[in-house]
Amino acid sequence: MYIDQFKDVMSNCRFCFMCRHLCPTGIVSGRESDTARGRALIADTIRMHPEAINEADFVDAIYRSDLSGASRCHCDGYHDGKGYDEIGLQLALRRDIVAAGNAPEAVKAIAAELENSAAWEVSKKADLLFFADPSAASRPAVGTAVAKVLGAAGIDFGVISGGCIGKALNVLGFVEAGTAVMKKFADFVNSTGAKTLLVDTPAAMDALRNDFPAAGIELKCEVKCTASYFAALAADGKIKFANVPALQFIPGDYIKNYMKCGCSDRLLKALGAAVAPFGTNTEESYCCGEGALVLDKLNPSLVALMVETVKRHAVAGVKIAVTSAYTANILCAAGLDAATLTEIAGDSVC
Amino acid sequence: MQLKNDSYMYQMVLTELNDAVGAEFVDSGAADGLGHSIDYYWIPEMWHDRGKETQKPDFVVHPACTEEVAKVLKIANTYHIPVTPWGGGSGSQGGALPVYGGIILDMKRMNKVLEIDSRTLSVTCETGINAQMLEWEVEKAGFSTMHFPASIACATIGGFLAHRGTGVLSTKYGKIEDMVMSLEVVTPTGEIINTLPVPRHASGPDLTMMFLGSEGTLGVITKVTLKIHPIPEAREFHAFLFKDMHTAMLAGAELMHSRMQPSALRLYDEPETARLIKRVLGLDKPGAYLVFGFDGPKDIVALQMKRACEICMKQDPEDLGTEMGQSWWENRYKFFYPPYMFHMPQAFGTLDTVATFANIENVYWGMKKVVTENFPEARFIGHFSHWYDWGCMLYARFIFEEAPADPAAAAQLYNVVWDKAIRAAIANGGVINEHHGVGLKLGRLMKDLYGPAMGVLEGIKKQLDPNNIMNPGKMGFKGV
Repeated sequence: MYIDQFKDVMSNCRFCFMCRHLCPTGIVSGRESDTARGRALIADTIRMHPEAINEADFVDAIYRSDLSGASRCHCDGYHDGKGYDEIGLQLALRRDIVAAGNAPEAVKAIAAELENSAAWEVSKKADLLFFADPSAASRPAVGTAVAKVLGAAGIDFGVISGGCIGKALNVLGFVEAGTAVMKKFADFVNSTGAKTLLVDTPAAMDALRNDFPAAGIELKCEVKCTASYFAALAADGKIKFANVPALQFIPGDYIKNYMKCGCSDRLLKALGAAVAPFGTNTEESYCCGEGALVLDKLNPSLVALMVETVKRHAVAGVKIAVTSAYTANILCAAGLDAATLTEIAGDSVC
Repeated sequence: MQLKNDSYMYQMVLTELNDAVGAEFVDSGAADGLGHSIDYYWIPEMWHDRGKETQKPDFVVHPACTEEVAKVLKIANTYHIPVTPWGGGSGSQGGALPVYGGIILDMKRMNKVLEIDSRTLSVTCETGINAQMLEWEVEKAGFSTMHFPASIACATIGGFLAHRGTGVLSTKYGKIEDMVMSLEVVTPTGEIINTLPVPRHASGPDLTMMFLGSEGTLGVITKVTLKIHPIPEAREFHAFLFKDMHTAMLAGAELMHSRMQPSALRLYDEPETARLIKRVLGLDKPGAYLVFGFDGPKDIVALQMKRACEICMKQDPEDLGTEMGQSWWENRYKFFYPPYMFHMPQAFGTLDTVATFANIENVYWGMKKVVTENFPEARFIGHFSHWYDWGCMLYARFIFEEAPADPAAAAQLYNVVWDKAIRAAIANGGVINEHHGVGLKLGRLMKDLYGPAMGVLEGIKKQLDPNNIMNPGKMGFKGV
C-alpha cells in the first residue's frame, strides 16, 4: 500500500493531539475524524487491517479533509519535508482508496471531468505566457488584471488557456492519470518555445515548481508567480500602484503552508496597502479548503461552515485580499467583499 | 449499555437524539467511533497498536447549546444510557473513553466566546472552545487567560475544568480552578444550573468547586466565566544548573517562601536534565536544571529577577543566564511533540503527585525506589513543575523501552506499576494527582487516597446522578 511509505507518520500522528486547533475541517465540524490524529488512526487501522479500506465511513472522512497543511506547517516534528508529513499520508491513503476501487462516485465523476479537460491552447507565441488555468479563468477579473499590469509595464505576452494540469487529479488520488496529464502539459508548454510561464493560481504554481520536478517532468521555461513578478516590476520602477484600499489579508494554503513563499508579502508591500491581519492568529487557515482544490464541489456544506468562520472575523467595510481565485470565488458567493491580490494589483496599477 | 445498531431500540434512541440536536450532528459511523475510542491514555493506545478492537460509543452527539445538552441528558436518563463528555480528547487518564458504549457528548461545537468584560477582566465562553483558540481571542482584545498548558492546542476549556488542569504560569496565575469565576452546569438529570457569580463568598459551600474536577461524573459544564489578565509589560526567565536535585529544591522552596510570586518555576531531576533538557534545549551537562520567570511591570520584574538569582546562588549552581531560561519558555510545548515525546513501543506514564515541601522529596524517592526495584527495566525521571507557597507538584515518569507484545500482559504490567508507585506516593504524604485527573486509570486508587471520605463523594454522585448515566466507571465511581 502507498501508506506504507508513511509508517512513521502514522506511528506518531495517530496518538498526537498537538495540531487539532489547526485542522480547519475539524474546527468547523467538531468531528474527531476531521483531525490529523483521526485520519492517522484511520490510516493506521487500514495498515493493520487492509480490509478496512472498504469501510465507506473511513473513505468519506479522508475525502472530507481540506488538506490545508496548517497542521504540518506548525508541527514541531516536521521540518521542511522531514518528519511527520500528514498531508503526504492523506494523499497516499487517497491513492490506496482509488487503487482499491473505493473512490466515492462524486470523486470519480470529478476526476473524469478533470482528465477530459486536459487540453490547452495558446493565444499567440511570446517569450512570456500567462497560464490562465481553470481556477484563474473562473474569475475573468484575474485575466483582466494580468493584462492591465503587463500592459502598464509594456510587456508583450500570450495566454495559455485550458484544463487541468494534473494537480487536482493527484490530490484526489488519481496519481497515474495526474502524472500523464502533467507530462502532456509539459510537452505543450515546451512546444510553445516560451521563456517564462506566468502563473496566478498558487496550487498550479506548487504543481509546476514542486510536483513536476518530483515526477521527473521537465519544463524548459522558467515558472514565475504573478505576485513575485508584479512585485519585481514595481521594484524596478516599471509599474506603480495607487489608491490601494485598506485590506484584510488571508494567505492561502499553498502560499503559506505548502510553499512557505513570501511572494504575497512582497506584492502587498509593493502595493503599499494598509493591511490588517485576518482573524485572531497567523497559524489558522481561513481560505476555505483551497488545499483540497475541489472541496467546494465535494463537500459544499463543510465549506459553508468554513465561510461562517471567515464571516465571524471579517471587518465590515474592509476588502478581503486572498491569494487564490478558489477562495475569492467562495467568499464572494457568500456575499463578502473579496478579491485576489492580482485583481487588486490590476485595479491599482498606473 | 451497548446498543446493537441493527436493533429497533437503537433506531428509537437515534430518532430522539436526531430530534434533540439535528441528524447531521449525531454520528454513529466507524471513523468518529474510532477517534473517540482512544484518548491520550496509554492503555487504549497500546490496545489499538496491538491490533485489538477499542471500545466504541454507540452515538457521537455534537450539541450546539446548553439546551441541547439538557435534552440529550434527559434522553439518556429515560433509557439509562451512559453519557461520556468529550472535550479535546487529550486527557491522559482515560476519563473520556466510552468504556460502556452509549453516548459520547462531543462538546467542540460549543466553542463561542460570549463576552469579554474589560471592567471586571473576565471572559465568558462555552466550554467546548479549544484553549488556544480562547487565548487567541482574548489576546486580540488585549488580554490573556495566562493559562498555558502543554495541551493548550489540544484540549478544550471544559476539559481543563473537568479535571482541574493547570498551565506553565500556574505559580503566579493559579490552576484553572483559581481562574474560574462561575459555571453553568447541566446536571445529570438535565436541569440547567448556575453557580454563584463570584468565586469568593460566604453563602454556604462552594458549588463551583464541587463541579471542578468532577470529570463529567456529576454533570456537564457548559459555560464558564474565567478571570483574564493584562498583557504584562515584561516577562523574563532565568536558568541555573544545580549539582543535584536536592540543592535545587532548597533554592526553589526558598524562592517560594520569599513570596515573590514567580510566574513559573520548574526543576528537572538529573536524569530528565540529561535526557529531555539536552534534547530540547541542547544543554549537555550533568546536574539539575532549574528555570524560573517573573512577569509584570519592567522595573519590578528586574528587581524580582535579581532577588531570585541571589536566592539561587546561595546553593552555588552554574548560572545558565537568561538565554537558557528564555529558551525553555520558547520551547515549552516542544517537549510534547513527536519525536520529543515518548511514544510506542515505549510504555510510559506520568506519576503526577503533589505534596508539601516537607514531603515532596520523600515522595520522589519513595516512588523512584519502588519503580526501579520492582521494574529494573524501567527508567524513572521527573520534574517539579507547579509550585505553591507550601509545596509543589512532581511530574514523575516511568518509561519502559518496550512493553510485552501481548496486550493483556502489557496492560497488567502497566497497571501494577501505577499501583505500586501511587501507593508509595500516598504512603509518603503525596496526593494523586495535581492536574491530570483520575479518570479510568486511577479510579481504583481513590479509596486508598480518600479512605472513608470516598463515601461522601459517592453520596454526592448518587444524589446528583440517580441513574448513574454520567461517565460511569470513572474516578472510582461504580460502573454500569
